[in-house]
Parts: sequence; structure tokens; C-alpha cells
Amino acid sequence: MMQSGIPFQGRGVPPLRGNALPGVIMGLFLWLPISAWGDTDVNDEAFAALQAEAKKGFSEEVAPFVKNYCADCHGSKKRKAGLNFLAALKDPGQARYLKQWKLAAGNVKDHDMPPDDEEKLPTDEERRRFEAWIAKIKYLSPKDPGPFVLRRLTKVEYGNTLRDLYGVDPAVAEELPDEVFGSGYLNTLSPLQSELYLGIANAVVDQVLAPEGKAPTAVQQRLFGEPPGEGEDPREAAEKVARRLARDAYRRPPSAEEVAVLLDVFDLARENQLAYSEALRLLFKAVLVSPQFLFITPSETIDPEEEIVPLDGYQLASRLSYLLWSTVPDAELYELAENGRLQEAKVLEAQVKRLLMDPRSRALFDGFGAQWLGLGDLESKTFDEAKYPLMTAGMRAAMVEEARLFFEEIVRENESVVRFVDSDHTFLNGPLARLYGLDDAITGPEMRRVLLDDPNRGGILGMPAVLATTSFPNRTSPVKRGVWVLEQVLGEHVPPPPANVPPLEEQDQKEVAGLTLRERTELHVTNATCANCHKVLDPIGFGLENFDAIGRWREVDDGGGAIDASGELPSGERFASPRDLKAIIATREEALARNLTERLLAYALCRPLQGYDEIVVDQLMEAIAKDGYRMQTLVTEVVTSYPFTQRRVR
Amino acid sequence: MLKNALIDRRTCLKGAGVSLALPLLETMGWAEAIVGKDSRPPVRLGFMYMPHGVIMDQFWPASPESFLTSPPPALESLRPVLDRCLMMKGIAGVPISPFNGAPHALELSTWLTATLPDAPTRHRVNIAISADQIAANYIGGLTSLPSLELATMPQTHKENQEGLHEAYYSHCSFRSPTQTVPAEINPRSVLKRLFGQSESPGKSAEVDPLDRQMLDRVIGGARDLRKTLPQGDQHKLDEYLDSVRAVERRIAAIEYRQKEAALEKAGVPSSRRHASDSPPIEIKIPEGDKRSEYMQVMCDLNVLAFQTDTTRISTYIGSTPNGVSYPELGFSDQHHSQTHHNHEKEKVGKVAAITKFNIDQFAYMVKKMAGLREGDGTLLDHCIMMWGSGLEDGNKHTRENLPFIIAGEGGGSVNTGRFLTGVSGNQGDLLTTLLDCIGVPLDRPIGLATKQITEMKA
Repeated sequence: MMQSGIPFQGRGVPPLRGNALPGVIMGLFLWLPISAWGDTDVNDEAFAALQAEAKKGFSEEVAPFVKNYCADCHGSKKRKAGLNFLAALKDPGQARYLKQWKLAAGNVKDHDMPPDDEEKLPTDEERRRFEAWIAKIKYLSPKDPGPFVLRRLTKVEYGNTLRDLYGVDPAVAEELPDEVFGSGYLNTLSPLQSELYLGIANAVVDQVLAPEGKAPTAVQQRLFGEPPGEGEDPREAAEKVARRLARDAYRRPPSAEEVAVLLDVFDLARENQLAYSEALRLLFKAVLVSPQFLFITPSETIDPEEEIVPLDGYQLASRLSYLLWSTVPDAELYELAENGRLQEAKVLEAQVKRLLMDPRSRALFDGFGAQWLGLGDLESKTFDEAKYPLMTAGMRAAMVEEARLFFEEIVRENESVVRFVDSDHTFLNGPLARLYGLDDAITGPEMRRVLLDDPNRGGILGMPAVLATTSFPNRTSPVKRGVWVLEQVLGEHVPPPPANVPPLEEQDQKEVAGLTLRERTELHVTNATCANCHKVLDPIGFGLENFDAIGRWREVDDGGGAIDASGELPSGERFASPRDLKAIIATREEALARNLTERLLAYALCRPLQGYDEIVVDQLMEAIAKDGYRMQTLVTEVVTSYPFTQRRVR
Repeated sequence: MLKNALIDRRTCLKGAGVSLALPLLETMGWAEAIVGKDSRPPVRLGFMYMPHGVIMDQFWPASPESFLTSPPPALESLRPVLDRCLMMKGIAGVPISPFNGAPHALELSTWLTATLPDAPTRHRVNIAISADQIAANYIGGLTSLPSLELATMPQTHKENQEGLHEAYYSHCSFRSPTQTVPAEINPRSVLKRLFGQSESPGKSAEVDPLDRQMLDRVIGGARDLRKTLPQGDQHKLDEYLDSVRAVERRIAAIEYRQKEAALEKAGVPSSRRHASDSPPIEIKIPEGDKRSEYMQVMCDLNVLAFQTDTTRISTYIGSTPNGVSYPELGFSDQHHSQTHHNHEKEKVGKVAAITKFNIDQFAYMVKKMAGLREGDGTLLDHCIMMWGSGLEDGNKHTRENLPFIIAGEGGGSVNTGRFLTGVSGNQGDLLTTLLDCIGVPLDRPIGLATKQITEMKA
């Protein structure tokens, strides 16, 4: 049942519509001589060959298999579970069928489908070949950067943008609803949000501008300039202000029509007998509630004939800046966009490095890293207060801070992604050091870099933030930890347990009385339904059992039984301690890097990966592997990738 | 997928675009009130949610006859108002196949839609407009807030069942099939939203009169921008236009309220309010973090919003289907983990305690409403308040008999004081009937509805 798959982890937007054709994109390669795209012709040729092979395989092998074994129940007449494989066969590469095919491959491989009581059952060899062909389905996807629609600034991005443009406290945006992340920041807008935007615009204007009759503030002078002198036309002066305000807030030069709208607002204020500065106040407010501020909008009108176009420089600058900084592009990025140079490969690469080395790149952890590690809820997660009195707000904050500093160091020092798992140091303050048993040496509230002697520690597997996140309020959960390692670290997809199967802790108490947590957990493997997955994920969790629910080392579990942290993976690799497990996971650098790349790409594109993206990731992986899986290279590859720099408009 | 077109276009206050003009309001009931023709208080509809189902033998009354005299333990706190409550057994939830592995992702999101998410696009939100939002579309234009959405926890749950979008876990209100309506969790923000900067109950929020005209021009600009964009982007911008128009309408309604208040002040016997009506209740925002106090202030805000006719439609997600614990009850276990109790006594006891705790907060709210004079009765008489869960038995994820309690006669439309057994219908039928009771005409049933539950009507 385990499938390595694309994480559906981005921020959701509509799926592919229709069948976008490749092409129109050759111009792109003039400025993308990096990574796998370097030798374009060869790659396209190779891709075409693979595509032809996959097509042949589908018509010669997959189609007969489907017709023989699947179509009676999942065809045009019966569509059990809502699946019609005959329809999918007509255009198997379509993004919307991708998940269906992968599910089918998993079910056929695991003998879950066709059901055992069917008359015709495929041979093991047929099953193997079916699965092998489904793995090649990615080559049937047309070359496509994926859908890309106007993106609303998230709550954090919006607050940061107001801070960087107008010097206000980003807390001004506090009342906006929190974003729903995970498989989706919801790129929608409700009346409540619009109403709050208007309220926030009022608050920003009040904070930034001096009351009528008072001397203007410094920000006000920067934004509005000097008021028109005697005999000067206030409307002309207002037009200059409108242009400047819109250029900053819209992150691109405004069109003539856009300036006209703002002047219209200025006129409205003047008709209502407002003074010049008060009229500018209303104009400023209009800028702040305009869609061009709240959404990242293109600066150029798209030719309706085009299907795929490169992002214009301003849009690319915003996309990059919001990805790595969660805020508006700075002057240098803006200038490069203005000069049309940002799309040059060397320039774009250099900008990625510059942005990553800037302190604002902590946004990459806050927005992406914390989400990847699953730390978003740690602050509010319930812990049994009597059992874990150490889990104070301060302790939780220190845990997340440790993860942040650790993540940021790997990014800044451009280290291999393996360092996430295998490291000899971490960041601690006094309270956090208690969990490590290092509180004699480390005291005080400030975080510092600490070399670790204990090889069980160092890396995310032995990090309290992660260990606490993957525990229950009152005990550890080997299952949750196993799932976490497989999904978050190695990028596997662990299917949810079947419906109506009570989790471990809900087993009949009489049956399990007297068993250790490990022994109880091992009951999973005695049940055929459960065993499929649990034989893989439970051992990983057992390997971390020496860490309690808040990440302290322990030799005995809650019931007083000795911890047995030994286990074996399906690959045959054996371990006896967290340190051994860490060493095994650290050898999976390719899986680790691919997982991070997929997650970062989905995050950067604000959508789940699909179809052609898999080909893109294959190509990025070649370049990333060549450079030893270094983190900055990984980020650079994502930013310079085909789907990040192009958009489908039709 | 059901669309906004569900309701009678005549009063669906959109389309014309620019803004809601005052004359439209004046043709819709209020004006009559001003000239003194009809001063019957409006009917309001509120929903309150608890996930994971109930302990059945502690929730369902033993028999129709014993309902009023010896109610089940879970309902104890409702005893003083039971004669104004209605319970019905036999309303089935939405069957969740093909999402069998996602009972909790769907219990809340199907609750007011009676519809399953669209399977092929499950990784994003695509379900149906919810009953509360259909009602808000119809009668929301009459109040300064079309509807009020409250929740106890942030709606940011991160778990992926059957590949369904995370938002399904924590949202019950959908403005359109693809747009969730976020709920507010901060009582201070709610108070401010209801009554403006002054936070003084009973007063309308203050608005800058030029804001509406400014928004009007911004909308005009957005329309120009829209024309230059590819189709996908145009849809996105439509959401913007729609939501900003809603703000314009809200400002218009507030202005109308202000005008009305001014008339009243000048001695014109205007509003729907009677001299004998209770004064607006006071809101005290608690200092600590006790769940009961927090939920009660949210309930108070709901009561106040209805009492002042600031809105007529509300939802309160008292708890969401994720790792919620109730330390106030003396245990740290998460709600969900206890609901799979396998009839083990201790866990059953904990689930019963959590259920009772949630119903107690609902009882707090409806009893408060029952104590407020309005017109010739009480506020509760003019409301339909429904408490419920999207599962019946959390242990087995069953949903054949959804547990819910209706309180209030809805202006004489609901026949209360009864426990009806052997009712046959589904969640969609129930929602369709509720909307009918508050006077929202539907041109088609909600979700999987096929009929109305006529037994519940007066």
C-alpha cells in the first residue's frame, strides 16, 4: 500500500482544464541554461522517446489489463467508487486521472484489486507489469507549467508588506483569519476578509498619516511629497502621488487606467470638500483595498492567443520575494524587473543567493520549514500538565526556535539536506537544555549553537519539537512518529487506516492489559489489514521510543518496562537505537532531497504537484544530486524551474 | 453543484453591481415597520456544532412521553426550556462513500450542505453553498451583517483524510461551492465588528460615508483590470468583486440603521423595537482561558447580535473535529480519542461529560434568549437555534440518526415541546424545512433533500 508519490501539499488552485499543448516556450531556454534544462534539445528528444514508449505501453499492456480485470466494475456502465478507467484510458496522461492510476497500481500490486472473488484474476507477472507501466504515466503528461491564477497575499505576507512599505507593525493585520495551510492555503476571499481589509486600510492610514493640520510624518512626506505650491494644479500633484503609491503597492508600474481610477477617488474627495491632504488620504486607502495590492497581478496584458507565457519581470520578482521573504520585492529586485534583467539565469540565481543570505529569509522557515516539519500546532497543542509540567509556552517557543535556527543554518551554510537528519550540533537555551540533560552547562534564556556528544541527538529525528509534535498529550506514539518519518522525511505516502478500525489506544483493554506499549503496538502486525502498513511504520517509531513525549531521553517507558528500540526495516536494515535509525535514514539522501524538492516546489507554486511536474522534479533532482544535495542549490533549482518561471494562461 | 441561484432572484441582493440602494431595503419589510404597519419581530436562525457524536443512551429521550418530565442526562441543563425544544430521531446524515476513510473531514462540512465534496477536485474546496449562507443571501441584506460566523478554535487543522482539502475539517459555512466562510474566534473582534470602534452594544458600527463611494470606484477599476486578464484570473477577481460588494452592502445597511436611529431620536416612532423589549445584554469578555467562559461569551455575542437585529443568521462551531481537549473537565484526553470507546466505561463517561459540557453552553445561550422580552414574547420565540453533531455514534462513525436539538418556535413555525420518533428523512430535508420555517423560499431542495419534514412544523 505504500506509494512513493507527489505530495499533495501545495496551496490549492483549480486543476488542469483541457489539454494544454507544449510549445510556445522555446524562447525560455535562451535564458535558462541551468541544470537539466542546459541541453534542451537532447532533453526534449529524450523526453519524446520516453513519451512514445509510454504511449505504446499503455495501448499494448495497460489497456488490455484494464479491459480484462477492471472495466466491469470501473467502466462506462458501472462506476464503482466513482472510477471509470475506460474514460481514463482515452487520455491517460490527463492530470485529473493521475491519482486514480497511482491508486490502481498500488491496489493491484497489493492484491487488493481486483477482489479475490472475481473469476478472472491477473497473474503476479501481469500485476508487476501493470505497476511498471503506471510508473511511466508521467511521460504522457503534456509539457505544461500548470495552472497559475492570481494569488492573494496570505495574512503573513500582507502584514509584512504593510510593514515594509509603510513602516507599520504587521500586527495591524492580526484580525484577519488565519490561513488554512496543508494541502492548501485557500486562495479565496470572503466578505469578512474584505471588510477587515477596509478596516486595516483605515488603521494603516491613521497610523501613517498625521491628522489634518498637523505636520506630516516622515513616511507621509516620502509617500506624498510636497503639497502643491501656489498656482500649481493639485490634481497634477495628486497624479504623481497616485503613480508612486501604486508603483509600490502594486509591485509594478500602474497602467494609465489604474492611475485614472485613483484620481477618480481623489476627485470624489475633492467634490466632497475635502482638503488636498485629506483627499490623498482617501486615495491612499483606495490603493490599499485595490485588488492590485491584495493580489499579485501581471503587469502586461496577455495575448489571448497564447497558452503558456513566461512571467513578466515584476511578477517573477514578486513570486520570488514572497517565496523567500514573504514580503514585497525590495528596490534591487524591482530595478532588475524594470530593466528586464531578472529573467537572465545568472541574475536570477544570484538573487536567490542574495535573498537567502538576508535575515528576511527566516520567512522560508516560518512559511515552509515549520509546515514541512509539522510544527504549526505545537504552540497550542495540549499536553498533560501533571505529567509534563515542563511544556510551558516558553519551552514550546524554544523548541520551535531550535528547529528554526537549525533549518536556517543549513540554508545559509548551503549544506547538504542530509544534515537535517545527521548533524553533530543543535541550538539550545537553558530551559530547552533540560530536555537534553545539558542544563548544567547551558543556562539563560538566549539560544546558542551547541556541539552534541550524544550521537542519538543532532538532526530532526532527535529534536524535541518534532518528537513532541508526533506524540499524544500524555504519551508517545510510535505510529505517529513512524508516519512522520515516512511522510515528512522520506516523502512516502502512508494511506489512512481503513474506516471503523479503532486505533491502538482504543483496543479492548482486557486483551491488552499487561502489555508494554511496544507489545500492544505490535498487535497491528497480527492483523492482516493493519500489517501491510504497520510492519513498515511501527518499527521506525519503536526506534525513537527512547525519547519521551516531549523529547527527553529515557531507558524505561511509562509502565516501567525497559525500552526496546530495536527493529528491522523491510529492506532488511537493522537498528537498535535512535542513533542507528538516524544513520540508516541519513543514507536515503536521494529520497530526502526529492521529498524536500517536491514540497518546496508545491509550496512555491501554491498548488499540488501534478502531471508534468513529476518530469520537472526528475530533472531538478539530477542537478541537485550533482551538487551534493546542497540546500541553496535545491532552492535555486526550484526558483529557476520551468513551472516557477512560466505560466499557463489558457 | 448547487449555485447561488438557489434563492429567489428578486431579493438576491447582487447583480446590479454598484451597491445596494436604500430604496431596495425600504421595499422589504423594514419600511412597513417604520410607518407602524407590521412590527412583528423577524425570525432568526442559529446553528451550534459539536463533532464526534454522542453517547446515544444518554442523549436520546427514553420516550416521547417522558421527554418533558424526565429528560436524558445530556439534556439536563435544558430542562427549564424543554417545552420550547424539539427533538427528532430518524434524520440521517449524508452517506460519505466514496470518502469512507474521511468520517471526520466530512462531518462538519456536510452538516449544513447535505452534500459531499466533488470527488475529482477533492484536494481543493468544491462542495455546495451551505444552508446558512442561502439564508444569508436571502435575508442578510436586511441587517448590517448578513450572517455571523463564530468558532472556538482557529480553522487551520492540518490532516489529510482521503486527499480531501484540510478546510473541510473546520468549516461548515460555504458562500459558494468553492468559497469557505471563515469564522471569527476572538470575542473582542466580534464585538468590534458588530458595533464598531465604540464596542458599545446596541450602537451600529460607524462608517466613513465616503468609503462606500470609494469602494465603488475601486470596483469599477477592478472591472477594467478583469477585462485584461486570462479567464482563470477573471474568476479569482470575481471573488474579490463579490466580497467587496458585500462590504458596500454592509455599509449601506449600517447607513440605513443610522438613518433609522436618527428618526427615532427625532421622535418618529420607528423601529421594530418595542418599548417593553429588554435592553441589549452586556458583554463581559473573560480574562482567563476557561473554555466554558469563552464559549459563553461567544454565545452572548450571538444573543446580542440577534437581539439588536445586527444579523439574523449565525453559526457557531463550538468545537472542531481535531485534537481538542477539555482540561476544565479534569482530564487531558482529546475528544476524538475517547469517542472510540468500545463501550469501555471510563471513556464513555468522558465522552458523555464532553457532550454535556457542549450542550450546557447551548442551554446557556437559549435560556438567555428565553429571558429577553421581545415583542409579545421572548427573543427565543422568534429564533430557531439548532445544536447538533455530524455523527451519531463517534465510536462507529454512524450517522443514521443525527443527534440534534432545536430550540425556539421560530415565530410560530415550529411545534416544540416534543420528541418525535420514527421520523424518516435526511439532513437535507431538515435544512430545507428549517429554511422554509424562517421564510426563505427555495427553488430546489438542499443537498440530498427530497422533501420537507412536515411533522416538525406548527
